[in-house]
Amino acid sequence: MRNQSDNIVADIDWVMVLLYFLLVGLGIFNIYASVYDPDHPNLFDQITQHGKQITWLGVSIFLGVIIMLLETSFLKKYAYWFYGVTIVLLVIVLFMPAVNGARAWFGIGSFGIQPAEFAKIGVALALAKYLSATDHSRSRNIQSGLSIIPKFSLTKLPLPALMILLVPAALILLQPDAGTFIIFTSFILVLYREGYAGNVLLFLIVAVIIAVVTLVVAESSFIIPGLKIKLSGKTGIVLSLITLGIIFYFVIRSFVLPRNRGGLYKALIGSLVVAIIFVNFIEIGYSKILMDHQKTRIDLVLGKIDDPDGEGYNINRAKAAIGSGGFFGKGYMKSTLANENQGHVPMQSTDFIFCTWSEEWGFAGSFSLVLIYTILLIKMIIIAERQRSDFTRIFAYSVTGIFFYHFMINVGMAIGLAPVIGIPLPFFSYGGSSMMSFSILFFHSAQIGCRA
Amino acid sequence: MNNDSRKYVIALMVLLVSFIFTVRLFYMQVIDDQWKDRAAEISENKVITQPARGVVYDRNKEKIISNVVYYDLRVVPNQAVGIDSVEFIKLVDMSMEDYVKTMNAARKYSKRKSSEFLTQIPPDEFTLIAPELYKYPGFFEVERTLRVYPKKTGAHILGYMNEVNNTDIERNPYYKSGDFIGRMGVERTYEQQLRGQRGVKYYLQNSIGVETERYENGKYDTLAVQGKSITLGIDWELQEYGERLMRNKLGCVVAIEPATGEILAMVSAPSYDPNLLVGRRLGENYLQLEKDTLLPLFNRAAGATYPPGSTFKLIMALTAMQEGVITPESGFSCIKSLVGCHNHGSAGSVSDAVKMSCNPYFYQITKKIIHQGKSSNGFKDAAIGLDIWAKYVQSFGIGTDLHIDFPGVMKGFVPNTAYYDKIYNQYGWQFETIYSICIGQGEVLVTSLEMANLAAIIANRGYYYYPHFIKEIEGEQIPEIYQQKNYTMVDSQYFAPVIDGMWRVVNEPGGTGGRARLDSIAICGKTGTAENFKVINGKRHQMTDHSIFSAFAPMDNPQIAIYVYIENTGFGGTWAAPLASLMIEKYITGSISDTTKENRILNANLIPDWSDIQPPKKPRSQRR
Repeated sequence: MRNQSDNIVADIDWVMVLLYFLLVGLGIFNIYASVYDPDHPNLFDQITQHGKQITWLGVSIFLGVIIMLLETSFLKKYAYWFYGVTIVLLVIVLFMPAVNGARAWFGIGSFGIQPAEFAKIGVALALAKYLSATDHSRSRNIQSGLSIIPKFSLTKLPLPALMILLVPAALILLQPDAGTFIIFTSFILVLYREGYAGNVLLFLIVAVIIAVVTLVVAESSFIIPGLKIKLSGKTGIVLSLITLGIIFYFVIRSFVLPRNRGGLYKALIGSLVVAIIFVNFIEIGYSKILMDHQKTRIDLVLGKIDDPDGEGYNINRAKAAIGSGGFFGKGYMKSTLANENQGHVPMQSTDFIFCTWSEEWGFAGSFSLVLIYTILLIKMIIIAERQRSDFTRIFAYSVTGIFFYHFMINVGMAIGLAPVIGIPLPFFSYGGSSMMSFSILFFHSAQIGCRA
Repeated sequence: MNNDSRKYVIALMVLLVSFIFTVRLFYMQVIDDQWKDRAAEISENKVITQPARGVVYDRNKEKIISNVVYYDLRVVPNQAVGIDSVEFIKLVDMSMEDYVKTMNAARKYSKRKSSEFLTQIPPDEFTLIAPELYKYPGFFEVERTLRVYPKKTGAHILGYMNEVNNTDIERNPYYKSGDFIGRMGVERTYEQQLRGQRGVKYYLQNSIGVETERYENGKYDTLAVQGKSITLGIDWELQEYGERLMRNKLGCVVAIEPATGEILAMVSAPSYDPNLLVGRRLGENYLQLEKDTLLPLFNRAAGATYPPGSTFKLIMALTAMQEGVITPESGFSCIKSLVGCHNHGSAGSVSDAVKMSCNPYFYQITKKIIHQGKSSNGFKDAAIGLDIWAKYVQSFGIGTDLHIDFPGVMKGFVPNTAYYDKIYNQYGWQFETIYSICIGQGEVLVTSLEMANLAAIIANRGYYYYPHFIKEIEGEQIPEIYQQKNYTMVDSQYFAPVIDGMWRVVNEPGGTGGRARLDSIAICGKTGTAENFKVINGKRHQMTDHSIFSAFAPMDNPQIAIYVYIENTGFGGTWAAPLASLMIEKYITGSISDTTKENRILNANLIPDWSDIQPPKKPRSQRR
């Protein structure tokens, strides 16, 4: 690592800084439109959300500057400590009074802090430190030159690494905060990049497809054409999987060299069994384990429930706000649904902030925002890839994964592609904890970037 | 770096997600309009200001229909908590069943938005409800204007209003569900002028339906425009008086101003208070009225076709003279073998014949009209002659469209050659077969409006204006059709002998309508006594004759033509004639000189007693 702390300004990745201030600036003006109150028109009024957001921005920039001045080695050195503190906070918060049914907040006056937001940073640091310290990342997939397609072997993630992930995840589930918990699955991306979880990622994609099909079809029944046999949807899925298996069997027999067939047959039978078990697990899990409101949210996305003024109220209002924006939008501060005054879209300054933006700026605005986030994410991948040390690369990828998940789920939820999960849109949603944690993550990433 | 290629997978995932979002956003925001519609449905709303309906005046500028504020009770279900429903239903006078049903419907519509709970509460009932309303949170009142009929008469003329149905909405997109529309009477005829233009205010609402701002600064808002007021030719005092006189009688009275064709009064008895068909009890009251065996809802003056009896003879006399088959001085003896008659002296002229209403006289002159010798074959001759006769009758407006500005007006029936050919085959009949028509019996049917118009024609000596109710429309001309004269086929010179006869009917001893005589006014009239039958359970029963009187006055410069028809009360001179004279006197002098005559009519209960036969069925012609 170069030691150029005397020339840090020259090293700053100005594109990142520009993106940061662009997003934060647009975010604050968007919150201003979203919660505009004629009694408090001052942008900096601390009673208003935009005023508070500006305060949080100030704190964040202060933290950012400190982080920029820190040596990476310092971060690496205290990574476990930081992780430890966040874990302790996650435990303590479970004894705090519940807000909206979840013990997730430390209240400080009118400000609230969510330790789960900071837990993400702790996990990213700890994971980076642990994985960089072990040599697993290098030896895992060495036999194959091309590793985009993962080998079908269960990757053995070292137990400590797994624990680093699972302990905070479990604590967050106890709050309960399903949204932040889901963000923890973003670390699978990091593991994938580091050569651990290739098959896990593929599994995940196949599993999501099977799960969606199962949930849509399982409760229905159908009649086999020609035969007058009535089958349940689940039986249909299982039959389809077996049919697929038989097709693959013939494909293997026809196109694969005999000496390679044995392993593939085993893999085929194995995955078929796993898939059939998984189908049953999904069905049972859906009906027995999930809470009613979670089931409802999933059913809404899958289109199994259509209740625009009841269960589907939030998502219906959100989609109406976005969809009514048209190409150029209704104009700044001219939204008729997604602002606090109108109150049609719930949580329009936090979880559904994308609605205000898209309603007022139309497709032109929503596309621009998607583009800005895409550029940011690609830029973060580039920074991560530029790293020479494993620690910084893993950490940078963790940050990228977290941002990507937040972007994907928050926007996906607002446009009806993902179930309603209350997680913020980085730099856009109102909220001190998320503002600070995203800033810390971001400045870490940027700082790493300028020292690569 | 063996895992390096995986960075492309991750970058690709990011790009894929962004691409899917872009496509989805483009579809939602630019292509698909459903979310724009949905957003409008959620965030926009409008308040409609119903215009006050046009006021209706009579010819003396007396208000006969105006508006009054009624109250609708609305409820916001989630504010209506802790309601003592037992007390509440007592207060607003509704059943528990209805209360529960309405409340559930309101909840189903929206818990946060208000729904109609009880509509059209009249002001007098609402004054009792209003002070108690504070005990019932979630309930509030909204004003609406409804019709009020201050005179409580003229129900058949004024008509009534009720809510539009699907057909109305399809026919005219102006109407929206819940609007009221004139259903009968002038409310219906002049609906378009009376209704005005509703005002609309568009606004943005928040999630609980409260207005937050005007939509587009009120660019699309319109103000309500009050309906035009109209003035009718009706003389309300006369109308009221007519209804009083016709109380406890069945039948109708129509009076027309001959010089204009304006209808001065149109009474159909029995009638009802038009205010019964306003407000929340409309449906209930309507059913009640509909069940009444005396058919109060039925407008006999416009919708009933009756045999005209002897009043029809006037047309025979006029036609015969015009056709030249008789002269005013032609005399015919009263040959009772041709057709029955009462005892009277011989009629030596048209005037005599009218005065005495001699049946054989009119038998003989009608025969002369129909059998003019245009063919040597008597049957062919009758066929030619009857069509000539029918044309004459129709030229008096009988059985034709009189273009009256009123719904549900029937036409009379004038039989012609084609009609009898159908019954008796071609050339299978001649005058002797069909002779009853000459005395206004048999197949001839008329409406009272047509016959009142006939009286006006005679008063005018040969022409008429289409009878009409409208006199003035605010800011509009009345239809031209009501300003043109329509001439009969009879020249005015032939009217003198008939009018002379009509004067003698009333004013000479031996005239059939002596009871109509007034010292102050020269009334010309003609009695009629119509045989009539009712077919009950397949059996044809002869009923008591209808009492009829057709008249105009004064003889010179006539101001009023009138036709009185009282069902099943016997000879025309007994009841119809004096009633007509009272109406004439009331209209011309404004007072009644002979109170004995008046009281005799007022106190008479002439509703026929059918109890010995069967309850009456609605006559075939009395379709609305």
